[in-house]
Amino acid sequence: MKPAPFEYFAPETAEEALALLAEYGMDARPLAGGQSLVPLINMRMAQPAVLVDLNHCCELAYLREEEKMLVSGPMTRQRELEISNTVRAHCPLIAEAVPHMGHATIRNRGTVGGSLSHADPSAELPGVAVALDAEMVADGPNGRRTVPATEFFLAELTTALEPDEVLREIRFPKAPSGSRAAFAEVGSHFGGLALVGVAARVDLDSAGRCAAVALAAIGAGERPARLSSAETVLMGEVLGEQVIAEASEAAVIDVDPLADLHATAHWRRRAVVAMTARALREIADGGEGVAEVRR
Amino acid sequence: MTARRDVRVTVNGRAYTRNVEPRMLLVDFLRHECGLTGTHVGCAHGVCGACTILLDDVSIRSCLAFAVQAEGKEITTVEGLADGESPNALQRAFHENHALQCGYCTPGFLMSLTEFLRETPDPNEAQIRERLSGNLCRCTGYANIVRAVRAAARRPRDEDCAP
Amino acid sequence: MSARGDDGGAGTWVGRPVPRKEDPRLLRGIGTYIDDVPEPRGTLHLAVLRSPYAHARIGAVDASEAEALEGVVAVVTGADIADLIPPFTADYERPGFKVSRRSVLATDKARFVGDGVALILAENAYVAEDALGLVLVDYEQLPAVSDIEDALKPDAPRVHEELADNVLVEGGHGTEGFNEVFEAADHVLRERFRVNRVAGVAMEPRGCLAVYEKSDDAVTLWTGTQVPHMLRVGIARCLGWPESRVRVVAPDVGGGFGPKMYLYPEELLAVAMAREYRCPVKWIEDRLEDFLTTLQARDHVYEVAVAFDGDGVVKAVSVDALVNSGAYSTYPMGVGLEPFQGPLNMPGPYRFRQFAFTCKGIATNTCSTGAYRGVSAPGVAMAMEGMMDRVARRLGLDRVEVRRRNLVGPDEFPYVNVVDQLYVTGSYVECMNRALEMVDYEGYLAARPPERLVDGKYRGIGVAVVTELGGQGAARYKARGLSDLPGFDTARVELGPDGRVLATTSFSSQGQGHETVFAQIVADELGVPVDDVTVRGGDTGASPFGTGTFASRGAVVGGGAVMRASGELREKVRRFAAHLLEASPDDIVLEGGHAHVRGVRQMRIGFRDVARAAHGLTESMQLPEGEEFGLEAAATYDPEASSVSNACHIACVGVDAATGLVEVERYIVVHDCGRVVNPLLVKGQIQGGVAQGLGQVLFEEILYDAEGQMLSGTLMDYMVPTALDVPTLEMEHVESPATDNIGGFKGAGEGGVIGALPAVACAVGDALAPLGANVNRLPLRPDTVLGLIEGVGA
Repeated sequence: MKPAPFEYFAPETAEEALALLAEYGMDARPLAGGQSLVPLINMRMAQPAVLVDLNHCCELAYLREEEKMLVSGPMTRQRELEISNTVRAHCPLIAEAVPHMGHATIRNRGTVGGSLSHADPSAELPGVAVALDAEMVADGPNGRRTVPATEFFLAELTTALEPDEVLREIRFPKAPSGSRAAFAEVGSHFGGLALVGVAARVDLDSAGRCAAVALAAIGAGERPARLSSAETVLMGEVLGEQVIAEASEAAVIDVDPLADLHATAHWRRRAVVAMTARALREIADGGEGVAEVRR
Repeated sequence: MTARRDVRVTVNGRAYTRNVEPRMLLVDFLRHECGLTGTHVGCAHGVCGACTILLDDVSIRSCLAFAVQAEGKEITTVEGLADGESPNALQRAFHENHALQCGYCTPGFLMSLTEFLRETPDPNEAQIRERLSGNLCRCTGYANIVRAVRAAARRPRDEDCAP
Repeated sequence: MSARGDDGGAGTWVGRPVPRKEDPRLLRGIGTYIDDVPEPRGTLHLAVLRSPYAHARIGAVDASEAEALEGVVAVVTGADIADLIPPFTADYERPGFKVSRRSVLATDKARFVGDGVALILAENAYVAEDALGLVLVDYEQLPAVSDIEDALKPDAPRVHEELADNVLVEGGHGTEGFNEVFEAADHVLRERFRVNRVAGVAMEPRGCLAVYEKSDDAVTLWTGTQVPHMLRVGIARCLGWPESRVRVVAPDVGGGFGPKMYLYPEELLAVAMAREYRCPVKWIEDRLEDFLTTLQARDHVYEVAVAFDGDGVVKAVSVDALVNSGAYSTYPMGVGLEPFQGPLNMPGPYRFRQFAFTCKGIATNTCSTGAYRGVSAPGVAMAMEGMMDRVARRLGLDRVEVRRRNLVGPDEFPYVNVVDQLYVTGSYVECMNRALEMVDYEGYLAARPPERLVDGKYRGIGVAVVTELGGQGAARYKARGLSDLPGFDTARVELGPDGRVLATTSFSSQGQGHETVFAQIVADELGVPVDDVTVRGGDTGASPFGTGTFASRGAVVGGGAVMRASGELREKVRRFAAHLLEASPDDIVLEGGHAHVRGVRQMRIGFRDVARAAHGLTESMQLPEGEEFGLEAAATYDPEASSVSNACHIACVGVDAATGLVEVERYIVVHDCGRVVNPLLVKGQIQGGVAQGLGQVLFEEILYDAEGQMLSGTLMDYMVPTALDVPTLEMEHVESPATDNIGGFKGAGEGGVIGALPAVACAVGDALAPLGANVNRLPLRPDTVLGLIEGVGA
């Protein structure tokens, strides 16, 4: 488990980084936090000839509030999302989800753009992006373009980014005040990798009815799945046990999990139901609570 | 073979300059170039946490970083915790509570907890266990590590666990 | 008459929670694990090219590109070294055994994914790994078999073509009259238990550094082993070298748990290459290799039948055990370990007098298997306790009552069980009673609704009463025909000229705390503070010959040897002190690093002065008549019988009805390992053992596909317990000292695992009992458990 040789570049601007990626094309990989890529490099399952280290591009690490958007640079550490009051105030779903991502030491180094670009089907942040209809801004030799999160994740470890593109910015719509969020996930055991998770955001009207609902599942298919059928069940309803149960059962309509080493496809479907119910109950109970410990 | 590069780092207050291949992992750099073998490799794929160090005071897995990425930075390893021969509060708490057996994972725990106790000086058990879940120990079953963290957190301020 | 103080000889140090002497170096990061041993100049790094196929004939090997790589010193194939390192084996021709041989690098065919095919010697580990990718091997893939029952089929691929079939070992035995008793019983229950294959996953992978000593034409092998002396015997025997040419040193070892008590091909390769190339050779295993090649365990099937009467009294038990032995037999334990240790541990604390078993160890195209903490005992304990629960359910009795009717009672010791194991003392009922009190068993049952569903979780409780066989000596190993396991251990204790004590033992430590435990024993025997005692071991060049660290034998056998040697030295110190104090040796009391005359504390002399006199460091001759210079004593210890610890484990679980995820909510252990040397360390052993057991019950599993490809070869796919999985145990000790060994100690290393499998499995079975779920296979991962809840596979 020693990396194969590679050329290493540490550009200090995004422009330089893009130029290097363009120059080396398929031979090059951008290196963000490295928490997913470096294990693959250590196992020689990835052997890029060139690594373009983005960690010196200070301009790529930022967290900014706009009128309707919370905007993150790709090199913003996951830890920044975790401790940011702005994130908690305007995108509570992110605040709920981040403590579930890896472990503290991983979040210190892991980046927003890295997790999204890696597109692990059981990663939390892609699920959040899909639930929130985030805008993914890609940058490359042909200029910038914006891809909706729902179209960004194509398959396991595959995104809509071209080889010479990088994720330049991630734009999360801000939640209206009173919006509630919860994130629930389950694995084979406690403290390990998540197998299935559900991200939920619900905006309640003054009568306590669901005015807007966003649900997405991770680990239940080759990419994060928006749970539209469950959302439809909830719209206009008060979050009661009956409707939560109905919506949770509807969640399986929009997922297509595969069996693997860790769990059967059937279990993953049932886990989607269970996590949908858990997230919705949490929201019904007040939502946006403190990030609870996973046990 | 790719072009070697100079890497200048400060580890536990001492400056090191070494000329290494870009592919050299930071943990190998610390262990074999700097001779600081207290940081251990348990998995080299970012799961076990045995290689945890502080890079500019932030805990990271040193098996998931390349030495060249540490250029110009300050590193603290387990060797930098004790004040000379005398262990710090966290190390003492580990000793008194039998929080280690084979000891191989221990440096990673100590480094992760050093940051944790700085940020969370008065943690509850759930917070402690959540933090510990990022490091694997195969010997202790964790109970005594939890006890040690509680004990270290209770020490008076002047015995702070910060390195 | 006591020589250990005026208070009548109660231990000052034994029994106290002394914090460990090994901690300071380990906490400061200045321990020396294998990869920390300073590399001598010119060290070559060895990497092993491993077969990607589970079963393949090896054709031409083209190493030209690898050899041409800058930094590569040599590429060596199996054929190149076939004469230098002959195939090794652990078993000999005897009834029931077939001998399988292992080449350190495969010459004819590879028999599992990870089997070594060639090696690289290079200037650093990075280049060595580069070169691995450049060696081209012409493999002819053969049909492979990874499952035990597939391997028994007549047309199964043959792992060793020279053998008639894949059964490497088989045996069995039945008590006289078994059939009659079995058939006459009122009730019979049968069950098939499937135990999961697991890995030890010591946090430090294996590794070694072989240093060629030019002047002696010898090799010093630093290696992360539990058994340095056994390794030296094995290496010298295999290479045909005199033992004087091999020194084996175990430095700090980052966890053992059994898999590190074997001789591995890489150790032989490093030693042979060091001498061949006249330079130091280093091999450090990475985690992927660890999963592929370090011995695994417990891939077992148990077919159990229990015959019992209407009161739930068990009359007869039978078990047929199938064990996946992997590709090769292993040195020094051989292929018989897991197959025989299953059945022989089956009776545990129970009193039934009729027992029949068969066992088979079966070769497959998978990694070899062998000793892992508890060996087969955890699996059979799960089967036995699972049957006790089934008996209770069948008869509508409480499970505790059924156990009570079958346990060896407090007035029955010494007891010889149905497989002739002597239980000299024990506290089976007492431990169970106390554990039930601690958990408030009746209260727990009363508070639970009949359907057992509370807050979305099925609540269950599991009660397990288990025994733990430890401290085995020569008689036990010889009865098993193990030629290369001596069984005894040795200690040498010396009082140096400065009055401090050095104890050197045949043991080495992988975290058990021998430096502390043995020092406590020495300190009591000699009347010195524990800080004045240094304990060393693990170096065949410096420590006396003995067996080594495994099978919960440290305190019993190692501690026994230390106690005997210290006792001899104590008498010598008393004679010297008596001479110097002009008193009778019988009147000399040793205490606190001084000798004094009984009742006359002012007539005293410090150990330093005694020691200086005994080492001739005095102006005048002060040697007592008939004494020789020096203060040291050596002794071996070979306990006649095994020690048998016991415990009651109670687990309370919550099974999430929606996901099947099992949470262990409470865990109680009342444990009896005889006289406790250091309660802090015993508790640590039990907590750690339970954690490993809990991992096995709930989620750990090594998985191979039908073609023998490993599916769980990283720590992402093979999960070990985290701090969120393992509760803090509620623990108490009961002490029934062993009366048939010198220290009264019993082993404590394995009981935690042995109790955890049955306790947690029975708790899940109890939680799901109203659903009719049958918990009979591990691990109990969420998808499996959800299947049980939904009635699939019930």
